Amino acid sequence: MKKLCTFLLFLFPVIFLSCHKKEAATNSTSTGNVTLTFAHCINGSPVQLDTMIYTNAAGNLYEVDDFKYFISDVQFHKSDGSVTNINSCTWCYYVDNTIPSTLTWDICDKLPLGIYDSISFRFGIISSKNLSNMFVNPPESAMAWPPMLGGGYHYMQLDGKWKDSVNNIDNFGTHLGIGRVIYGSDTIFVDNSFHVNLPGSGFTLSAGATPVIQIIMNIDKWYSNPYVFDFNYYGGYIMMNQDAMHKISANGWDVFTVGYIH
Amino acid sequence: MQCIRFQLTDGMSLRLDTSINYMNISRFLLIIAVGAMMLPVSCKKEVATQSSNTVKTTPYIISIPKFFPTILNIPADNPMTVEGVTLGRYLYYDGRICGKKDTLMSCSTCHQQRYSFMNGVGYAYGTTGVKTSHIVLPHVNLVFNSNGYLWNGSVTPDNPFYHTPGTYGGNIEDIVWIAMTDVSEFASDTTKSKEAIQAISIYPPMFKAAFGSDVVTFKNIAKAIAQFVRTLISSNSKFDRYLDGEENLSPSELNGYVDFETEVADCYHCHGTILLTTNDFYNNAKDSVFTDPSDRYSYTHNTSDIGAYRASTLRNIAYMAPYMHDGRFATLDAVINFYSSGLVRSPYVSPQMYHISTGGTQMTPSQKADLKAFLLALSDSAFITNPAFSKPPDLP
Repeated sequence: MKKLCTFLLFLFPVIFLSCHKKEAATNSTSTGNVTLTFAHCINGSPVQLDTMIYTNAAGNLYEVDDFKYFISDVQFHKSDGSVTNINSCTWCYYVDNTIPSTLTWDICDKLPLGIYDSISFRFGIISSKNLSNMFVNPPESAMAWPPMLGGGYHYMQLDGKWKDSVNNIDNFGTHLGIGRVIYGSDTIFVDNSFHVNLPGSGFTLSAGATPVIQIIMNIDKWYSNPYVFDFNYYGGYIMMNQDAMHKISANGWDVFTVGYIH
Repeated sequence: MQCIRFQLTDGMSLRLDTSINYMNISRFLLIIAVGAMMLPVSCKKEVATQSSNTVKTTPYIISIPKFFPTILNIPADNPMTVEGVTLGRYLYYDGRICGKKDTLMSCSTCHQQRYSFMNGVGYAYGTTGVKTSHIVLPHVNLVFNSNGYLWNGSVTPDNPFYHTPGTYGGNIEDIVWIAMTDVSEFASDTTKSKEAIQAISIYPPMFKAAFGSDVVTFKNIAKAIAQFVRTLISSNSKFDRYLDGEENLSPSELNGYVDFETEVADCYHCHGTILLTTNDFYNNAKDSVFTDPSDRYSYTHNTSDIGAYRASTLRNIAYMAPYMHDGRFATLDAVINFYSSGLVRSPYVSPQMYHISTGGTQMTPSQKADLKAFLLALSDSAFITNPAFSKPPDLP
């Protein structure tokens, strides 16, 4: 009885000590979290959907109705050269204007505290990871890209309308994904995704604070530089037109900017 | 010194009793340690007790076909059970459920298995001869849809109406309630229905087995039928077997598949995914004037939804004529011709109708034939003959 009591006497504090140690491990003061928010603008102002008030670089009057896209392989670059890859909960993030919750991404990965130079990501999904049927649930499953065009998933579906050269209102789908080029009997698939090094995305991650960084998609930029994209020339659908998708992809270099960092 | 005694009550929970004094610390620690060690055991016991006080049902495990969504639309208050599904199947086919002495009408009256649980004629006319607002939708793969039911998607947990007393949260259970009470369907009421079922000797024991009580409630009628409907899964068409590598598509079917998936026919933006529907809603350029009070706009009040309806599944489409929300197209040929050259402009055409500028996809005759061949390859004959989905043979 005496030995049992002695054992229990020592057991009791050990239980509490071990719980305390575990608690200390999960509340590390050397890491923190970051939140990304996604905004969408045309000509520097938040886009008004379903409203034909915009003119692109080609002079097309147009509106944007819906947009959905993936960014992937997000990286946070510290000034000491170290890189944190975001992949603990998801390496591929989906944004959809019809699902407001997707406009805020509370990244679950823990980032080391300190000064960060920049954030980078891939717009779309690199072909080696863009695999058919990896998303079976909506909404991502509806982004499937046709297997005969390369498979995997759309990088982006940007849908809207424009007034054509005879003043009819036509529909466009700026859809970006794997490109297919047929040379005689040969078929080549082209990766149209691209790396984005977000300008002005430096920030400091301090203990106890969760920075909120706004990423802006400047929609008008998809159609302007270096290629002026004319809906009247390319028409309403481009998934089977690698030349058109290449131009959209190439124009993507300045689509993304940073809004606020709080 | 005042210590703490943990006393096990009749309910197997722990009660804090601070009224008793103990002088010996070791006895105190012993009690704490013993109590702590008993905690997980007593929780387990508590769960076992709850099980023994309620009916023991058998979980019904839905086998999810390859590449199908893994998220199932099953409300938390109506888990799938073998007993519930069995009861639901009987009720689905029992014409006495409408509670009218001179009329027999069941779910299966308008949702017939041979038509992939549609009715094969379009509109239904209910027990009073009033026409439904839209044609009958099929009961197929509904468990994979979390984006609202009916042609306008208004039956959804997002609709506040379905959180009012007497409703069931915005799921298939509410569709049963709508069918029972709507003037264009059973045109009856829940009391008549439950009384009619209560009076049939086979049912009270089945309700007892499924829900723990032999008192029939309409809520449990709706739950049982919803459970059965959730089992109606179609995934064994020729196209499915092709995707699995078990069967080849013919050259025409293969060409049709390519056209379906690409901007040649461009079906898949609305009828894509393995479900052959995105379960979303579109104005597909059928009309320029919109007078339907039950379109998608009637629910969302978003002007971009004027004239929009759900893109229904194309699985088993060969069995489900006529087509569109109003059954205007009697054949698949008519549908294909419409999408090829019959699109109608309006300010509300969904942007996904990318071929609006040319009036349609402008398919050649051979492309149309290929597309039709592919659509026919979406037929699942096993689904429309599966005895597990058929009328119970012992149902009078």
